[in-house]
Amino acid sequence: MFISIQNVCFSYPNTGKPALDQFSMNIEKGEVISILGRSGSGKSTILRLLAGLEKPTEGSLTIQDEVLFDGNTFLQPEKRGIGMVFQDYALFPHMTVGENILFGLFQLKKSDKKKRLQEVLELVELQDYEKRYPHQLSGGQQQRVAIARAIAPNPHLILLDEPFSNLDAELQVKIRKDLREILKKANITSIFVTHDENDAHALADRIVKLKDGCIDLIGRPCDLIGIHPHPVPQVTPMIEERELMSV
Amino acid sequence: MQRRLANVNGWTVSAAIIMILLFLPNITIVTGIFSPSNENWVHMKEFVLGSFIRTSLILISATAILTISIGLSLAWLITQYQFPLRGFLKWALILPLSIPPFIGAYTYHGIVNYTGVIQTTLRDQFDMVLNPAHFDIMNLPGAIFIYTMFLYPYVYTITRVFLSQQSASLIESARMLGKGPWRTFFQVVIPISRVSIIGGASLVVLEVLNDYGVVKYFGIQTFTTAIFQTWFGLGDIESSIKLAASLMGFVIFILVIEKVLRGRRQYSYSTTKVRPLPLIQLKGWKAGLVTTYGLMILSLGFFIPIAQLIDWMILTFGTIPMDEFLTYVKNSVLVAGISATAIIIFALIVGNFSRLVQGKVAKLLPKLSILGYSIPGAVIAVAVVTAFIALDRFLVPLYQMIGITTTLVLSVSLIMLISAYIIRFFAIGYNSIESGYDKIGTDFRDASRLLGVGVTKTFFKVDVPMLKGAIISGFILVFIDILKEIPLTLILRPFNFDTLSTKAFQYASDEKIMEASQASLLIVGISALAIVVFYKFLEKEPD
Ligand SMILES: Nc1ncnc2c1ncn2[C@@H]1O[C@H](COP(=O)(O)OP(=O)(O)OP(=O)(O)O)[C@@H](O)[C@H]1O
Ligand SMILES: [Mg+2]
Repeated sequence: MFISIQNVCFSYPNTGKPALDQFSMNIEKGEVISILGRSGSGKSTILRLLAGLEKPTEGSLTIQDEVLFDGNTFLQPEKRGIGMVFQDYALFPHMTVGENILFGLFQLKKSDKKKRLQEVLELVELQDYEKRYPHQLSGGQQQRVAIARAIAPNPHLILLDEPFSNLDAELQVKIRKDLREILKKANITSIFVTHDENDAHALADRIVKLKDGCIDLIGRPCDLIGIHPHPVPQVTPMIEERELMSV
Repeated sequence: MQRRLANVNGWTVSAAIIMILLFLPNITIVTGIFSPSNENWVHMKEFVLGSFIRTSLILISATAILTISIGLSLAWLITQYQFPLRGFLKWALILPLSIPPFIGAYTYHGIVNYTGVIQTTLRDQFDMVLNPAHFDIMNLPGAIFIYTMFLYPYVYTITRVFLSQQSASLIESARMLGKGPWRTFFQVVIPISRVSIIGGASLVVLEVLNDYGVVKYFGIQTFTTAIFQTWFGLGDIESSIKLAASLMGFVIFILVIEKVLRGRRQYSYSTTKVRPLPLIQLKGWKAGLVTTYGLMILSLGFFIPIAQLIDWMILTFGTIPMDEFLTYVKNSVLVAGISATAIIIFALIVGNFSRLVQGKVAKLLPKLSILGYSIPGAVIAVAVVTAFIALDRFLVPLYQMIGITTTLVLSVSLIMLISAYIIRFFAIGYNSIESGYDKIGTDFRDASRLLGVGVTKTFFKVDVPMLKGAIISGFILVFIDILKEIPLTLILRPFNFDTLSTKAFQYASDEKIMEASQASLLIVGISALAIVVFYKFLEKEPD
């Protein structure tokens, strides 16, 4: 098992109820996981916890036997080797596309940097845009730059928060296909958050459904078909989760 | 929590040191209250303290009412109506802010006194000799007039920005409900803009309480003039500390009133795009009246004093040796430049700390250090001198070790003046930097850290470049405020060290008002330029 998340709990300061309660799951290398859930269900929170931008009150996270956090350790975000694509991309506006992508490659030798830059630009099909600034790109292009920037340092895991929310419907379909190709080509383990069933079903190897900070369902897209539209009785999720996870 | 703190250690420590240094001197004032009273203080408490409070109350309440009337009416007319010269007046009405009230005071005195342009014209052209008493402005009403004309832009700009961000539907629906323009104004506009009106007016009030130049020149007794008198006239430091403490108490009282008036309700505009108010075209005499009103205020607050200053400068040009004048310019730029740079660096550190460490204390502490701006310059001056003399006393053994024979080193150096500027004007820089941090949010920082770049490197490679606008505007605001500053500079400057503003003030005090014009015009010119530049900045940002 590549990534192991155990019993992660978290609540934001000055809020009574936990934003995330006993979140556990294991992820294999190269898997694409989708987190689905209503607004406020804790989707962004789980990504921020994995990234190290928030500190969990309980639980642990290990990637390839390296402990990123548990009761005793808390690795700062810059040390984790996790990439993230933000909802509004957070491309540095004062840097060109090339500079944005090179930003995380400071450890490489100069020649290696150049090589890697060309590689990822090719991957996202933006070879001719290296010298442009983010504001000179379309929404879809910006998103691909954001993905390229996150992938460039070869992270163990890449997190994407609602990667399609800023795009129009037509572009969404295209980008969805592109994204799966990019992720699979690079064989990168990834978790992406969405509130759109179609995105999740089209992209993910496995889907996690969150509800009020708890895991509601977890399983492969084909297994979840038909379960969704009906209200889920209180006890079933646990049974189903166990069943689905043992698959 | 500890582990999060461990990572930001350097930032936490620097921010803590900065905030302690900003607070410390004011504590000396507070402790001064508890030291035993001497004879002077007993006398003052009995005979004059009451009158200081009365004078201050009259000055601030009259000025507040007048600046609100002028500032709000202009803001409303500009946001609501179309009339000739509206585009020009919209930004030009801010210009009076570039004239420090003490310069306005001596200029107006020069205009209306016996040898001034008004009385001589009447005498020579029309053979009219009037009772000079009618032309005396060196009194309370005169001071109120001066403060109003040069401080109303605080209310004007704040309420105008607020009103222009209000959704048109709010005011249109009031109209649709059958309210006329007057009733809309009183029943909708004033209530919704209460917070910004009070915000603007409290800036005016704090400026009035801080003022030393106008009241000194007009011979009006207030806290600030009394602090100077007890310190330099009577040499009684303890009593001036007690006076400073009383003034601080008064300011805190004002701030409490402000909080109460503001109420808990903050009207904040929704984040969705607001539809701007379509302007109503004014025609005929109404349009003429509004334009005339705007031009009249602008003339009183800007054109008339500027014309007089230019006239005087032409008359006296060359009487002040150029190299002497250039020394004042150099001194001004030096202290303002160093202080503004230090303030911006400190503000960046404290702002980044407050952003990195989540929690109430980290958010609250910088807010407290902002109090420094509410504390009048004279009080800060007293506090800083007291602190530096104590520091010198503490350092005497060190001075002896390195072979310095005098006991006062720091307290006679520029370091003391610069420290005082930093304490007084930190809030101005911090506000600008903090709103810059707010605007860029935390995503860029987080993105950078997730790319493996640590907090400090992220600060230099991502935060600072993105904060460029806030850094520049914060620097300019602080720089100009220091350029105009009077009480701190007068008390704390080293012997024989003059700046443009102290020199202008001294010339004016020595009844050489014409000679004061050159330095004054330079101060006003630089400030006005900055205001125009700012206006362009502000207008470029639609949201
Ligand atoms: N900074 C914060 N402080 C306090 N509470 C927060 C904060 N951020 C989120 N929350 C709360 O935590 C819960 C989970 O929020 P989260 O952002 O993870 O939801 P989400 O599933 O990403 O929703 P959306 O689809 O709207 O983005 C919500 O109830 C939210 O109100
Ligand atoms: Mg979210």
